[in-house]
Amino acid sequence: MDEVDLKVQEGEFIIVLGPSGSGKSTLLNILGALDRPTSGTVFIDGLEVSRLSEAELITLRREKVGFVFQQYNLIPTLSAIENVEIALAPKGMPKEKRLERCRELLNLVGLGKRMEHLPSELSGGEQQRVAIARAMANDPKILLLDEPTGVLDTKTGREVMEIVLQANKERGKTVVVVTHAGYVKNYADRLLYMRDGKLYEPKPSELQEEFEEG
Amino acid sequence: MIPYSYALREIRRRRSRSLSNIAGFAIGIAALVTLVMAARGWEACTSGPLRTIGADMVFIYSAPISATPGTGCYLAMHLFTYPFSTSIVNDLAKVPGVERVTPILLHRMRAITFCGIDPSETKTNAILPEDVIEGRYLNPDDRGVALVDSKYALQCELKVGSIVTYVKNFTVVGIVQAKAMSIIQSAIYVNLPDAQETVDAKEKVNIALIRVQDPRKVKTISEAIMRLWPGSTVITASDIASVTTGILNIGEQTAWNISIALAAVAILFGFKSQLSALVERTREIGLLKAVGWSKQDIMRLIIIESLIQGLIGGLLGSAIDYGASIYVPSSIGGEFGGALQFVNVDPILLAIGVSIAVLSGITAGIYPAWRAARLHPAEALRAL
Repeated sequence: MDEVDLKVQEGEFIIVLGPSGSGKSTLLNILGALDRPTSGTVFIDGLEVSRLSEAELITLRREKVGFVFQQYNLIPTLSAIENVEIALAPKGMPKEKRLERCRELLNLVGLGKRMEHLPSELSGGEQQRVAIARAMANDPKILLLDEPTGVLDTKTGREVMEIVLQANKERGKTVVVVTHAGYVKNYADRLLYMRDGKLYEPKPSELQEEFEEG
Repeated sequence: MIPYSYALREIRRRRSRSLSNIAGFAIGIAALVTLVMAARGWEACTSGPLRTIGADMVFIYSAPISATPGTGCYLAMHLFTYPFSTSIVNDLAKVPGVERVTPILLHRMRAITFCGIDPSETKTNAILPEDVIEGRYLNPDDRGVALVDSKYALQCELKVGSIVTYVKNFTVVGIVQAKAMSIIQSAIYVNLPDAQETVDAKEKVNIALIRVQDPRKVKTISEAIMRLWPGSTVITASDIASVTTGILNIGEQTAWNISIALAAVAILFGFKSQLSALVERTREIGLLKAVGWSKQDIMRLIIIESLIQGLIGGLLGSAIDYGASIYVPSSIGGEFGGALQFVNVDPILLAIGVSIAVLSGITAGIYPAWRAARLHPAEALRAL
């Protein structure tokens, strides 16, 4: 990334568009404290990430940030509910309370009747919904989504984005989505464009050229 | 607890890898327990004949004992030896290091063995008070009474109160059952003066059972006694062992050493396997870190997986041992099978075996777990 200067307001829904290899995933990893920048500073909810200890970083990832990945990254041997539960396991929450929370989230993403299914028994859209439920398990303030519709058809992709929008509007989650799928741009409060590691607000013509399919 | 169910499912998911790990631990533990049990069994069958009568050595004037081929380590010991004066018994007791000496007069006539004992010796003797299964033990001032072996009693229809005849008549006061490995088994036991009078050997005995103060000095004391009484023979447990040979004749220490080497191989096998599995799971570990799992949480998961494999392997190995300890002795004949008759399944040893398997599992998992815990989350998530 090169001279990136970004401030995300609480409750904002930002979509970062850009071609593959432009640095979008790196931006997301840095925003979520999975990676540290080689220079510059990152503040998350008032905390300067580069000054945090390993234990504080773990707490930050657990409590403040929820990740959703393009390939869902569900654990194939665990059921939908257990895949959500793994995000709560390190918290030391009682089992019953954990399960109650997982059921609530899976109901929220419309998977109330598919809780015991393994990822291999779920469609792509359903798997991504499980991943969203997992990202929200610890009730984080921030949701970071890396190409959440990347392997989904447009219809399913829109369904997934509706759930993300609902989390933003109804639960006040701050959302940052990085994607190269232009059709999701209408969900954003603010659109950003990334190319060759630089982040900027795109001109309408740029968007028109890159995402005609959207 | 999700780590346990997660760990169990991961083990099931990587079935062939897990099975080979479990098999490694099972074979290692089965070999460990078998070798130690065999070594103990061998030790028991060589030292047992003396230990069961509370003795460390036997003093006689005769040729050394010999093992009867094909009967394992059951030592058919025909101690119908030259009689010697009871004064030697008193002198033997004065040898430095000797704790006590018990005189025995053994006689045989028409396939019946007749034994004179001093019943005041209740710790080292041809037959001991705890061997009485009916009636009572002999008193030092008893005369004209006898103890009879249970098999002989059954054969001759003798009961407490019956009369048994060996040159003279004796009233049966007790039925005894000598321990299976006892070196001196007799049909009739009477007080020593009665026996001496019956076989016309006044003031004579033909066996002295010797108990020493320090069992580690048995060899030194036995050599000293043989020097003091030229022509005598002192039989020790190692003499009994030396007349028998077999594949099981290894020390328990050697068995443990071999077993530790096997456990090390199992650990290396499990370690390599866990490390390979880690490469396949890099992305998964990255995800766990992204959702807030700490290094300790990840280490715990990998170690639990390894521990479960060790536990299953250990239990399987112990089950193999248990099965083998029942099947093998009955299916193998000759001296080898005979020796195996003395191999007892020791629950403590099985528990140690399982514990070693679990510890081996944990050991095999520590380094892969540490490697997994150190993975950088963003890099791990980028892994293919």
